[in-house]
Parts: sequence; C-alpha cells; structure tokens
Amino acid sequence: MVNINTNISEIQNAMKGILEQKSLQSKNDYSISNLSKSANSDNTKIEFGDTIKAVNNYISNVDNLQTSSDVSIQDLLSGKNEDITSVVSAVAKADLSFKLLIGVRNKIIEAYKQTMNMPL
Amino acid sequence: MKVENGFGPVDIAISGLQAQGKQIEIISSNVANARTTNAGNGEPYRRLEATFKTEGDTGGVKLDKILTDTSEFLKVLDPGHPLADEDGYVAMPNVNLPVEMMNLTIATRVYQANTAVLKRYQQMVETTLELLR
Repeated sequence: MVNINTNISEIQNAMKGILEQKSLQSKNDYSISNLSKSANSDNTKIEFGDTIKAVNNYISNVDNLQTSSDVSIQDLLSGKNEDITSVVSAVAKADLSFKLLIGVRNKIIEAYKQTMNMPL
Repeated sequence: MKVENGFGPVDIAISGLQAQGKQIEIISSNVANARTTNAGNGEPYRRLEATFKTEGDTGGVKLDKILTDTSEFLKVLDPGHPLADEDGYVAMPNVNLPVEMMNLTIATRVYQANTAVLKRYQQMVETTLELLR
C-alpha cells in the first residue's frame, strides 16, 4: 500500500516536470504556437498542459480512494470494522481508478515523447 | 469514467454481498435456535425471515425488515419433558431445518453470483483500459 502512494507522488512529480518543460517550451518558441493558433483559430482547443492539469486533479481523486482503502484495511485489521465487503469495495474502487490513471499516464507520456522526437 | 459514477456496478454488487451476508446471519440464527424452547418471552423461538428492498435509484439492494414467521409452533410428543403440557406435547420452534438448508444454499449462490458480477466488471474495465495501450 505504501508503494502505491509513493507511485502516486512519483507520477505527480513526473507530471509537474512535463508541465514545467511544456511552459518553458512555449516561452522559447512562441512563433510555432502562434502559427498553430492562426491555423486553428477557434477557442475550443484543448492544450496539452490542460490535460496534464486534469490528470493532476484525477490524481488527487485516486489518492483519496487509495487513502480510504488503506484506512478501511487498517480498521479491519485493528478490529474497528468487521465488515469485509466494505473493504473489498474500497480496494476495488482504488484498484480500478489507479489502473485508469496508469493507462492515461502511459498514453500521455507516450504522446509527449512522440512530440519531442518530432524532427523540426 | 468519473471516479464517483464509474463504480455503479461495484456498489450494487457490494450491496448484494452485504444483503446476502445478513440473510446468512438470519439463517444461522434460525438454525442455532431450532430447538430453543424459550426465546426470552416464555414462547419457543419464532423463525426469522429477512425481506429486502431496492436501494434508491442506483439499483442496489438493502435489508428492509426482519420479520418473524407467524406459523404454528411444532408440537413434539415428549411426556417426560419438563415443559410438556398435560397431553405430553412440547411446543418447539417453527424452524424447519431442510427449509433453512435450502435458503442457505440460495443465499450462498446469490452471494457467489454477486462476487462473479464484481469480478467480471473489473475484468471489463481492464479490457477497456487495454485499448489505451
């Protein structure tokens, strides 16, 4: 359980790193972003940074679910709670949301790497 | 998938598990008290029966009431029994053990079915997440 939490903070740090790099990048070559803005003038465009911010919000949700599953396991083991089904429910929810987070993270990092490897 | 809304099937399956857990608890009480001649009120033990109701809009299940079976007590001929009446009959609880065993099997099977639903839903979510790879 501790491992999972450290995993979450690792992911969070990785996301922050990507976010910072992304903002640096946008400062450095604003001509490219201007070019893409003129090509795509509507305001509904979703920035890559916004996606990462959304992932950051989702990480806190996943973290809450992980914490509640940890708490319910501890309650069960310390005898505070004797209902094993609620523990199963908390763990299943934490597991599913964590798997979704991992899937989205892998995809985002893959997309980021592909963009970075693009020959300019 | 929102964190709160994607868990509908999980919550429903868990509510089924909890309801069947209660049902098994009640069956075990019936079986344990199958020969209880005094349930605290001077009468033999009355068989308990659980009823269930649907939980809100989510479709989960919830324990509604625990009712007592109002059918006649079983009369057992045992003239030597200290509680026997003048004809030699003793009133025994209206628990029918074969019926309880049948209900126990049903409750166990429904419990298993709910765990199967939970497991299958987890597999389905994982299959969907495979698409991200």
